[in-house]
Amino acid sequence: MAEYIIRRLIYGVIVLFIMVTFIFVVMRAVPGDVVTLQLADSGASEEQIEALEAELGLDKSIPAQLGDWIVGAVQGDLGMSLWSGQPVTEVITERLPVTLQLAIMSIILAILIGIPIGVISAVKHNTFIDHFLRITSVGGLSIPNFWLGLILLTVLALVLNWIPPLGYQSFLENPIVNFQQMILPAICLAITLSASIVRMTRSAVLEVLHSEFIRTVRSKGAKERVVIYKHALRNSLVSVITLIGLQVGYLLGGTVVLESIFSLPGLGSLIFETVSSRDYPVVQAAVLIFGAMFLLVNLIVDVMYGWVDPRIRNS
Amino acid sequence: MSQVHLDSELPVKKVHIRKNIRLTKFKDDCKRFIRTQKIGLVSILFIFLVVLVAILAPMIAPFDPVDQNREAFLAAPNAQHVMGTDDLGRDVFSRIVYGSRISLLVGFATVIISIIIGILIGMVSGYFGGIVDMVIQRIMDAIMAIPALILALFIAALLGPAIQNVIIALVIIEIPRFARIVRGEMMRIRETNFVEASRSVGANALRIIMRHGLPNMMAPIIVMASLAFGQTIIAEASLSFLGIGTPPPNPSWGLMLSNASRYMESAPWLVIFPGLALSLLVLAFNLLGDALRDFLDPKLSS
Repeated sequence: MAEYIIRRLIYGVIVLFIMVTFIFVVMRAVPGDVVTLQLADSGASEEQIEALEAELGLDKSIPAQLGDWIVGAVQGDLGMSLWSGQPVTEVITERLPVTLQLAIMSIILAILIGIPIGVISAVKHNTFIDHFLRITSVGGLSIPNFWLGLILLTVLALVLNWIPPLGYQSFLENPIVNFQQMILPAICLAITLSASIVRMTRSAVLEVLHSEFIRTVRSKGAKERVVIYKHALRNSLVSVITLIGLQVGYLLGGTVVLESIFSLPGLGSLIFETVSSRDYPVVQAAVLIFGAMFLLVNLIVDVMYGWVDPRIRNS
Repeated sequence: MSQVHLDSELPVKKVHIRKNIRLTKFKDDCKRFIRTQKIGLVSILFIFLVVLVAILAPMIAPFDPVDQNREAFLAAPNAQHVMGTDDLGRDVFSRIVYGSRISLLVGFATVIISIIIGILIGMVSGYFGGIVDMVIQRIMDAIMAIPALILALFIAALLGPAIQNVIIALVIIEIPRFARIVRGEMMRIRETNFVEASRSVGANALRIIMRHGLPNMMAPIIVMASLAFGQTIIAEASLSFLGIGTPPPNPSWGLMLSNASRYMESAPWLVIFPGLALSLLVLAFNLLGDALRDFLDPKLSS
C-alpha cells in the first residue's frame, strides 16, 4: 500500500510539473505582458521598460524563469504579486479557505441529497417514482449552477425580502453570517453534483441488488432494510466515491462563477481578478493549487478504493 | 461468410454491395432508435427546432436583437414584447432567438474541432503505445487535472473576450476527454483478431487506423460528443456571464444573464427566460447522450 501511495505521489508531482510548465509558457506566449500594462499610461522609454523587466525578473528566458520559480516553489516561496508586492503564499492562504469551505459544504450536501434519492430510485426500479427521480436528476445536471444561484437570490429577495449579508466574514469571525453567505452557493453547486450521485447510486445499487450474494442474504431471511442499507448500498459506495473524486473538477470549476455571483473572496475569483492584469506568480500558484486539490482528492479516493476493496489493493 | 464469398467471386460489384449493406444497416438503426428511444427522439426533434430557430432567426425575431427602444426600458412581458425588454429597451425574445446562434455555433465548432484533434492524438497514443503514449498521456492528465472551468477562465481571460477565443479555450478542455476515449478504444482494437489478420496481410498503420480503428470507435465518440455539446454550451454561458466570453452587444444567453443579475428584483423576467432557454437546450443534449448510450451500448444501461 505504501509503495502504491508513493508511486501515485510521484505521478502527481510529474503531472503538476507539466501543468506548471503549460501555464507558465501559455501565459507568457500570449500577447500582452505585465510590464506594458503597468507602464501603459506613462509613455515610458525603452530603458524604463527594461529596468522594470529586470526588477520583476522578466528579462530572463522563459526556461530560466521557470527554473527560478520551481526552485522557489520547492522551498515554499511562490514569489510576489507583480502588482501589490504581497507574497503569493499570503494571498493564497487568504483565499483558499473560502473555496475549500464552499467545496466541502457542497460535497456534504450533495451526498446527503444524492445517496438517499439514488437508493429510492433503485429500490423502486421502473416505477413512476423512479422515472420521476431519473428525469429530475438529468434536469439537475442540465441547469447551469449560476442560473440556479440567480433564481434563488431573486426568489428569496422577492418573496422573503431576504438577501445574504454583505461583506464576507470568515467562519471563525462570525459563523452565523458566514453560514448565511455560504449556504446558497453551496446548494447551487450541490444540486449538479447530487444529480450525478443519484444516477451513479441508482445504477450501482441496481447492479448489486441483482448479484448472487444478495440472493443469499435474502434467502437467509434478512429484512429488506438490512439487504439494502447494509449490503447493497455498502457495496455500491465504491463507485459512488470514485464518481465524487472525478466530479470534484466540475465542483471546483463551478466555484468561480458562484464566488462571483455571491461576492465571495475565493481562489476562483482570485484567478479571475489577476489573469487579465497578467499577475503571473499569483495566477500560476492559484491554478496549481486547483490542480493539486484535484489530484489530492483523487489520490485519497484511490486509497479509499483500495481500502474498501481488497481485490484492488492487491493487484 | 457470405461477405468473403462475394468478395472473391464478384470483385467488380464489391464496393457497391458494401455500400448498400451499410446504408440498409443505418436505416435499420434509425428505425430501431425511433422505436426504442422515445426520449432521445424528442430530444433530437427539440435540437432540430433550435437549429431551425437559429437559421431562421431574422424571420422569427420580431425585433432587431441589438436595437434599443428608448420608450420601453425594463418593460414587463406584454403583447408587443412577449418576454419583456432589458435595461436598454432591447426585446428579450428576439435576443434569445438570436442567442441560440451563439450557443449552437460555439457548441458545434468546439465539439467538431476537439473530436478531430482528439482522434488524431488518441490514435497516435493508442496505436504506438510505449514512450509516445506515456508522454502524450501525462500531458493530457495535466490538462485534465485543472478543473475545466478554471482552465477555460485562464485561457479565455488571457486571450480577451471574443467568440473564437471562447472556442479555443473550450477546445483545449475537450481534447483530452476525446483523446482518452479514442486511445482506450484503439488499444482494445489493436489486440483484436481482425487487426492481427489485417496486419498479417501487410496493411500499414494508417490503413489499420482508418479502416478498423475509426469505424469501431464511433459509438463512444458519438455519445461523448452529445454530452460534451451540453457541457460546452454551459461553459460558454459561464464565461460570458463572467464577462470574458462572448463580447457585448452580442445576444449570448450567458451575457444576458450577467446583465440580468443587476435587475433581479425589478425585472425577474430577465433572469428567467435566457436561463430557461439555456437549460432546455443542455437538457436536450444530455437526454440525447443518455439515449445514444442506451442504444449503442446496451451493456451500460441497466
